[in-house]
Amino acid sequence: MTDSLIVDSAAKIFADTCNKNVLDTAERGEFPEALWEAVCENGFHLLALPDSGAGLGDLFAVVRAAGRQALPVPLAEALLANRWLGHEGDGLVSVGLAGNGGAWSEVPWGRIATRVLGVTAANELFVACPESVVRGANMAGEARDTVTVGQVEPVEVGEPVYATLALSRVAASAGALERVLEMGLRYAGEREQFGRPIARFQAVQHNLAMAAAEVAAAVRASDAAVEAIGGKRFELEVAAAKSRVGEAAGVVVEAIHQVHGAIGFTYEHELHHYTRRLWAWREEFGGEVYWQTRLGERIAALGADAVWDFVATPR
Amino acid sequence: MLRFDGVTLPDNAADLRREVRAFLENYDGKLPRPNSDFGSGYDPEFSARLGERGWIGMTWPEAYGGGGRSFFERYVVTEELLAAGAPVVAHWIADRQSGPLLLRYGTEAQRREYLPRITQGRCFFSIGMSEPNSGSDLASVRTTANAVEGGWLLNGTKLWTSGAHLNHYMVALVRTEPRGENRHAGLSQFIVDLKGPGIEVRPIRNMAGDEDFNEVVFTDALVPPENLVGEAGNGWEQVTSELGYERSGPERYLSAFRVYVEFVRACGGSPGSSQAAAIGRIAGHLMTLRRMSMSVAGMLESGASPNVEAALVKELGNNFEKLMPELARLALPPEAHSAGFREAYADTLLHSPSFTLRGGTREILRGVIARGLGLR
Ligand SMILES: Cc1cc2nc3c(=O)[nH]c(=O)nc-3n(C[C@H](O)[C@H](O)[C@H](O)COP(=O)(O)OP(=O)(O)OC[C@H]3O[C@@H](n4cnc5c(N)ncnc54)[C@H](O)[C@@H]3O)c2cc1C
Repeated sequence: MTDSLIVDSAAKIFADTCNKNVLDTAERGEFPEALWEAVCENGFHLLALPDSGAGLGDLFAVVRAAGRQALPVPLAEALLANRWLGHEGDGLVSVGLAGNGGAWSEVPWGRIATRVLGVTAANELFVACPESVVRGANMAGEARDTVTVGQVEPVEVGEPVYATLALSRVAASAGALERVLEMGLRYAGEREQFGRPIARFQAVQHNLAMAAAEVAAAVRASDAAVEAIGGKRFELEVAAAKSRVGEAAGVVVEAIHQVHGAIGFTYEHELHHYTRRLWAWREEFGGEVYWQTRLGERIAALGADAVWDFVATPR
Repeated sequence: MLRFDGVTLPDNAADLRREVRAFLENYDGKLPRPNSDFGSGYDPEFSARLGERGWIGMTWPEAYGGGGRSFFERYVVTEELLAAGAPVVAHWIADRQSGPLLLRYGTEAQRREYLPRITQGRCFFSIGMSEPNSGSDLASVRTTANAVEGGWLLNGTKLWTSGAHLNHYMVALVRTEPRGENRHAGLSQFIVDLKGPGIEVRPIRNMAGDEDFNEVVFTDALVPPENLVGEAGNGWEQVTSELGYERSGPERYLSAFRVYVEFVRACGGSPGSSQAAAIGRIAGHLMTLRRMSMSVAGMLESGASPNVEAALVKELGNNFEKLMPELARLALPPEAHSAGFREAYADTLLHSPSFTLRGGTREILRGVIARGLGLR
């Protein structure tokens, strides 16, 4: 059960503190200090501490709210790192992919992190201090650095860390999908051509109806994976959700850009901050094919005559 | 924004599920069908056996032979039947929508007359909506019913009426007053005995080679006055109220399910990576669709009329029913097509054009969703 008070206040604070200017600045590589301070002042980065009183469900509801605003800070990473390491000091702890030879890739804002967690798809988790950083970015312009680390310590948390991180991208995508759908609906009602709002045209209505259906499916899939936290099937539910949400993202981004016409193709418009993230997040912590394959291998091992039971009795 | 909340099935769902599975395992008739399309297996004996178990009209009051059970329990039974490929079409329409229609709008006498027999699996209904010139534009129906001494005289033609050659009754949507300014006014629904005088039923062979839908011609067919459903002139409201039931059930995403089962079987215990990915991708769709469809069952249970949500689930479900056989086909080289896969796949593909037509076309559903989004 999520605590709607926390989630509502997070949504409000994110909406108040994040705007196009903040997004543009972050994309230029400058860490949005003021925004991050607002997040930390309210303790959102500590929500996932085992003794915070909030459930993991709250955490993902907050991550979804952050996705709705394309919040350009590593909130999910910090939340989970604080959970797995315990909170120590004010430095940023980010989470990337542990690699061989001491180079960890895809580290959000590795450039300002005081410590870094490295994860593998096999649920191994390590912690290290960065020694040097090569800046990088995903296609949304979100900081994704490569960090060279020195001494590496293993971290034992007894949780499926990789799927939990994948779920953070699923939940953020669900939020961003709701947001771009709203943008499309609003624009279709405002933009006039041929003497009427383009929402009057059936072809436009159908694109938006289809997008709405995909968004609804993505949100249900994301929520179902969140509901599965702590259960035996958690990783498989994340697999289903990452696959379904990724597919929805492709369809919805295409449709919403089409509705916006050329204005949505400009850098000046805010739409691309969401749509590029939706594209980029599909690949992070396992792309669709990775998760589909894991899920498919499990179902194949159960056998054809167990397929229905697998679908119908998730708990 | 449209919401699809998570639902948790009641505690007795697991037992009920086991009972249905045991029943299917022990059924001595012909099972399973190559596909899981609700429209494909006609078996009155099977329907009667389901009736004995109390699995028809499950949500209806006990006074009419119903089970007084929840929509979730009905959901469990229907999804288990479909997934197994059970032959359910004989009683399907009566259970899904004709019965609920009579419960809501019928007279007490009609409820006593029809509902108990429906729950016994001995009374089957067809839907008499479409006509030669009225498909998506349902309000344009031209079949007329004129009040005469001793009842109403029906004239006109219904088309695509599934099961009319086998079923006992049709609920026909007809004009009881000439069309005026308000095109939704002047429509009424009647229970029509399909074996009655003045009624001719001609099966129409479909592209898969079966005879399922029909042309039904009324020539001065006399229908007794007590067969009017609800009020004369209220037909439009009544017919649209059926849609939440008609559009959101498991039959809207499970038609192709047996293809998936045979696909997984053909891939074997250690599939290649592209096969595993296809299996997983399909599962992600299926798990999500089932949850959305159950969410609509929850809305029905709470007394809401989720017409928009139901249209949305049908739209997604029908798209999936068409996408899935294609994904399976592409992941299995033709030489790896087992006999079981070939049969399920061919049967499903040959019926697939109908998935996005019956029960409201894709285009009409998108229009319903668009209206729900405030676009029209
Ligand atoms: C297998 C099967 C079983 C059926 N069983 C029954 C039954 O038991 N009882 C019954 O009453 N009917 C039944 N139907 C009929 C079904 O309800 C109709 O096929 C459906 O309503 C569409 O009507 P139509 O076929 O005349 O197509 P049309 O309405 O003529 O449509 C043709 C095409 O034009 C599109 N179109 C139409 N209007 C619009 C619009 N305003 N905007 C955009 N596109 C539009 C449609 O989406 C479709 O693609 C059955 C159909 C099938 C295939």
